[in-house]
Amino acid sequence: MPLQAFFNSFGYFAQAAGVTVAVSLAGIAIGFIIGIAVCIARVSGGRWLGGLGAVYVSVFRGVPLLVQLLFIYYFLAELGLDVPALVAAVGGLALASAAYQAEILRGALNAVPRGQEEAAIAFGFSPLDTWWRILLPQALRISVPPLINEFILLLKASSLVSVVGIAELTRVSMNVASSTYRPLEAYVGGGLFYLVINLGLAALGNLAERRLAAGSGP
Amino acid sequence: MLRSGLAGAATAGILLDGRRDAFADDTLAEVKKRGELVIATEMQFAPFDMSDNGTYKGLDRDLIDAVGKALGVKVKYLDLPWTSILPGLEAKKFDLCVAPVTITKERMKRYLFTVPIADATAALLKRAKDASIKKPEDIAGKTVGGQKGTAQLAQLKAFAAKLPKPVEIKEYVDNNQSYADLAAGRIDASVNSFPNLAYAAAQRSDTFAVVTPPFGQPTYFSWVGRMSDKTLIDAINVAIIKTESDGTMEKIQKQWLGQTMSLPKTVPEPTI
Repeated sequence: MPLQAFFNSFGYFAQAAGVTVAVSLAGIAIGFIIGIAVCIARVSGGRWLGGLGAVYVSVFRGVPLLVQLLFIYYFLAELGLDVPALVAAVGGLALASAAYQAEILRGALNAVPRGQEEAAIAFGFSPLDTWWRILLPQALRISVPPLINEFILLLKASSLVSVVGIAELTRVSMNVASSTYRPLEAYVGGGLFYLVINLGLAALGNLAERRLAAGSGP
Repeated sequence: MLRSGLAGAATAGILLDGRRDAFADDTLAEVKKRGELVIATEMQFAPFDMSDNGTYKGLDRDLIDAVGKALGVKVKYLDLPWTSILPGLEAKKFDLCVAPVTITKERMKRYLFTVPIADATAALLKRAKDASIKKPEDIAGKTVGGQKGTAQLAQLKAFAAKLPKPVEIKEYVDNNQSYADLAAGRIDASVNSFPNLAYAAAQRSDTFAVVTPPFGQPTYFSWVGRMSDKTLIDAINVAIIKTESDGTMEKIQKQWLGQTMSLPKTVPEPTI
């Protein structure tokens, strides 16, 4: 039977795909919250906060994710801070993704016409309301396509969390390849799972785009 | 793996663990106190370590379970890539590495080895249909692959240097890629320990065959611990030797290696 190694271990693959999705979604969600904070710091944080945000982006975007994960899991342990594997995996993904998401949001904010903020002030919106009701919703709408891009990239990058001992999809494909000596079938199987997951993410992105566009009105 | 990670997250949390150092020199007492020996290996090294649909299996699993029983503790297994096992051991993420490590002079300076758990003599794997390789010397002028940084690859280089024609050596991140390239015809043979190759050939007899006899110097696989954990390693040695006298080792060898072999009862002086 073609892809025998894959079908014999289908449950094992499915479980690992679940781990990949769970770890990635947690990383994306936490990264989104940190990303918004970093973006706001960079856009309107003044000299110090803005500088801090810029340093954050440089560090977490500039150092490879693999190195960040090894640092969090092994190096911090040497200093006495014993980070559990799952926390290291989700934390590493979130911190790295936040840097990219912050820059995507900042770019989208810059794309919202200046007149929108001026009009909000003219209508008597408070600064918080201006952010919450006028600027962020429009920036989010613009940032959906690049954000989905980033989510898909992060999901694929999550294969790196196996270095801290998490049995995610790529790791399991390798395990199956090595115990069956049928590498091609194992990797094609793993690839199919990634494809299905990412098609799902892209579909969600399309849905979000339509929903947000419906609110924009003429 | 996820479940154990979650449990770890719930119980340990992210906190500064000040008690670590108090037990630094007595891991055995700590293991007995928590009732659990935490081991790490890479579950991609059949027939020693494999992950069969998520369940850890292999010679190492059966042997470490017997050792855990002798010590009166449960065993918890971690699956880590080989590159992060030795750093993890030094960072005290687990107590013992049960991935089979070939005993070499260089490694003995840094890690504490248990008594041997299996033969690690280097041998060659070829394509089943390749009639041009009948004995190890026939690789002269051909291309051979192996895993980077392994003792078996080092032995291959020493062996190849003495052959009349040069051997082209390709280094892989792990043996499975070397086997894949062998099956695909990109290389003519793969080097690894004899037990690993015998198992691979038995699993895919249509594709692979072992070139006999093994060409390397007699070497052995052991497990490794930290230099500071002498009491733990001594206790594990006693347990391993017990499996050899009570017939457990023989049973495990028959199941995973298809044959029995006697092993030294002390850590042998490395020849390489």
